[in-house]
Amino acid sequence: MVFKMKKSWSLLLLGVVLVFALSACGSNDSNGASKDGKVTLTLWNAWSGDTSDTRLYNERVKKFNDSHPDITIKTETTDSDNYRTKLKTRAAGKQLPDIFQVWPGSELEPIVKGGAMAPIDSLTDDLKGKLINENTLKDFAVDGKQYAIPTSVSYTNLVFYDKDMIKKVGYDQFPTTYSDFKTLIKKLKAEGITPIELGNKPQWPLQSIYVSMIADRITGSDYLPKVLAGKAKFTDPGFVKALNVVKELNDMQAFNKDVNTINDDQAMDNFVQGKSAIFISGSWSTTGLLDKKSKDKHIGTARMPAFEGGKGDPTKVSGVGAVGLGINSNLSGAKKKAALEFLKYFYSKDLYEDLLKAGLLIPAKVDLPKDTDPLFKEAYQATEGGTAPVYDGVLPAELTQTLNNGLQGILTGSMTPEKLAKEMQSQVNQ
Amino acid sequence: METYSNRKIKMTLIYVVLILFAIVNAYPILWMILNSFKTTKEYAVDKLGLPHSLHFQNYIDAWHTANFGEYFWNSIVVSVVAVIITVLFGALAAYFIARFDFKMSKTIYNFFIFGLLVPIHATLVPMFILMSKLGILNTRLSLIFPYVAFNLPITIFLLVSFMRSFPKDIEESAIMDGAGILRIFWAIILPMTRPAIATVVILSFINNWNEFVFALVLINNPKLQTLPLGLQNFAGDHVTNYVAQFAGLTMALVPILIVYLLLEKELVKGMTAGAVKG
Amino acid sequence: MKIDTKAKWGIVLGLGPALLIYIGFAIVPIIISFYYSFMKWDGFSPMQYVGLDNFKELFKDQLFWHSLKNNVYVILASVIGQLSLALLFALLLNRKLKGAKFFRTIGFMPVVLSSVVVSLTWSLIYNSEDGLLNELLRAVGLQSWTQNWLGNEHLAMISVCVTIIWQFIGLYMIIFLAALQNIPREILEAAEIDGATEWSKTWKIILPMMKDTITAALVLAISGSLKTFDQIYVMTSGGPNHATDVSALYMYNKTFQSLQFGYGSAISVFIFIFGLVLILVLNKLIGKSAV
Repeated sequence: MVFKMKKSWSLLLLGVVLVFALSACGSNDSNGASKDGKVTLTLWNAWSGDTSDTRLYNERVKKFNDSHPDITIKTETTDSDNYRTKLKTRAAGKQLPDIFQVWPGSELEPIVKGGAMAPIDSLTDDLKGKLINENTLKDFAVDGKQYAIPTSVSYTNLVFYDKDMIKKVGYDQFPTTYSDFKTLIKKLKAEGITPIELGNKPQWPLQSIYVSMIADRITGSDYLPKVLAGKAKFTDPGFVKALNVVKELNDMQAFNKDVNTINDDQAMDNFVQGKSAIFISGSWSTTGLLDKKSKDKHIGTARMPAFEGGKGDPTKVSGVGAVGLGINSNLSGAKKKAALEFLKYFYSKDLYEDLLKAGLLIPAKVDLPKDTDPLFKEAYQATEGGTAPVYDGVLPAELTQTLNNGLQGILTGSMTPEKLAKEMQSQVNQ
Repeated sequence: METYSNRKIKMTLIYVVLILFAIVNAYPILWMILNSFKTTKEYAVDKLGLPHSLHFQNYIDAWHTANFGEYFWNSIVVSVVAVIITVLFGALAAYFIARFDFKMSKTIYNFFIFGLLVPIHATLVPMFILMSKLGILNTRLSLIFPYVAFNLPITIFLLVSFMRSFPKDIEESAIMDGAGILRIFWAIILPMTRPAIATVVILSFINNWNEFVFALVLINNPKLQTLPLGLQNFAGDHVTNYVAQFAGLTMALVPILIVYLLLEKELVKGMTAGAVKG
Repeated sequence: MKIDTKAKWGIVLGLGPALLIYIGFAIVPIIISFYYSFMKWDGFSPMQYVGLDNFKELFKDQLFWHSLKNNVYVILASVIGQLSLALLFALLLNRKLKGAKFFRTIGFMPVVLSSVVVSLTWSLIYNSEDGLLNELLRAVGLQSWTQNWLGNEHLAMISVCVTIIWQFIGLYMIIFLAALQNIPREILEAAEIDGATEWSKTWKIILPMMKDTITAALVLAISGSLKTFDQIYVMTSGGPNHATDVSALYMYNKTFQSLQFGYGSAISVFIFIFGLVLILVLNKLIGKSAV
């Protein structure tokens, strides 16, 4: 029995020893430049999911490491939703990595204002207007200073449609005006076809994809900045009309019935299956559509139709720069030099050419390769007319949430466009 | 008086209820396993049907994408160590709370309830700063400590409620025999508590095995990261490779199933008549 | 047990390790979080002390009260639906029954399932176009009962609650199963000899003997319901239009989306206090009925 007593205490002891032994094998990785002049930098990104673009980014980093023996870039990948939680937690604890991925506009601003990032104007002055589109570059600028460079542009509004289905109701090409678009919807409905597939469970699609584009067509691209500067209002007739377009489409039963309970991915699946004729989504969907569609399915790509009397340029597509890498403001000396050298290497013409080949729309002046798939070619052509702002790329997070939820409310009937516009304006006023 | 046919009707009824229960519970798991054998295209067009062929490639892809080779063992180490410490410390604490009348007993017991009431996301930033100050960020300790701390309340809670229902005079004869406090705990109380211990082992193992947010922010070193982080790698910015994710989730389920099946018989092992001297 | 000096040391040594880790890694972070609730902080810029402003705003925040109301639904669903079903299945599966082990294992499966799979499969069940539930209703001629289960603002919360009930029945089932082993066979056998029916045996002997565990399960169900996050995050993201928002999700969005760390902390402080009050009331109620 004495033995048993000892056993219990020794088990306790064992547990404690075990813990400390195990913890010893995970010491902190070393920071900064070591004695022999080698520099190690950590890079956080959201390049998860094995897609053509994330593969290219990782390859690019590997190539850099191979060609720069004195610099090592250590990457760490987290999927984009969780990446943001992680970044914000780490930022709150004042421990950001050396280089990290950032998103433009309202997501970038607090990080910059908190003093966590260093400007990289020295780098971008060379690229501006030459390789990279100046307008997209602006997405990553705060108060006139540049903080990151985009690799690609997320165009948030491309109209994908089943060519055969719309032909069946008498359309050889996609309508270019909203009233004609409505006629198409009615005709599709009369044939028993669900006109538009939309997956709005995650709440951003209706806002980022639809409202960004529809509102721009009606109000013009200078409206949104004006609202935030206090020179225009969400309650102005233009924006309310844009919200009413959503309501109108919903009242026409243009969308699938499960619109608020499926996501963008599932909506794409349903569209590919032929459950509906039109799928409005972003440039990110082109590769997925190419992967999933069967050979005999003919998908066309078009721009959102123009609105009669709208102030916006109907050749524009809402889009925002993506995958910008920024550098930590606490870098100095050899580390900062190495970080800038890496960025310069990363954002080169080679990368943009590869990305375009892989089916991504880029903010750089690179020619389209000849063997491009027609679906992607149409998408590329649709986006040649310039970019319009994306709402969640510009609005503060709080307002985006109000708009997102309100739009779901418009679909279920618990919210009216007028009331939503009023709520948003009262938040701007605060 | 229960007649034979009455009994038969009753048993049939019980089985009908149980079979319905089983179907509703088995469906999602079967669905996940079946879809883990489909190709991406197959899954896109048919989410409910059977796979055309067994596409094992998903499992190979999942193994690589989720970095099973490394993350699996990290998860095992962290989960098992945390469970051992939780149950050991928890059972000991529960024993003193449940079986001794001392002034602070009730207060300490209630104090542990606090831990049940805190939304995990609220402690994320403080926990990160705490670990950073203690200098154990990026070590396994930074996961083991919070896992133990957040599983202790439910462990102590269940064990105390279980131990309290033992008859009061159990220990008395042992004391008469001159047994020490710890021996009573080890030789009498602990064996009687086995069903409840099995329960808390299963629960805290599941919690640790699936824990995500602490692992996300507290560990940065890929050599120490755990499986739930790897299982997120299937989600890209706008596309998710669901079929590979199902394969990964199916593989990740195996250790939990093993733990459950090993302990399941303890859950229903009633006390032998001799154990209770009522 | 009586306490002597030796036992006193035993108590200190026995409770010490658990208390140390618990205070260090659960209570300390909670206290720090409480401290943030008096601050205005976006996580990037320096904090600013604002006194009780966050709480004043909280009391006026209708969306928060709405999300808390949804938590109350989850609590009711868990306490009424989950615990009673779990108890029923625990009682059924505690007897000598062919295949009991199989049913116990299957019954526990939902608990271990990833919330991603739970969300995907239940979405397929609830889907309004071709979901299994609606198909089933159509098949038995209840066409008019078909609904947009998750897309309708009035039904979404109920649908989500059903899934939550379903997922954690197994958890309470094994807790109850463990407790049932604590009931000495002799007592039950003696009752049978006295001619007690199964019904009266359950009500008069088994349930009273499980009182401690049932109370613990109630506390767990209440606290668990207040923290509900995963299932709703993946099933509906709180939508449509906040219909299924719960306070932990609301807190998460305020903290990590809107970058209001102070306000987020104020919400968790409130959830914490709300939970404590509920449990205190529960203890009073149960304490009384026991007298």
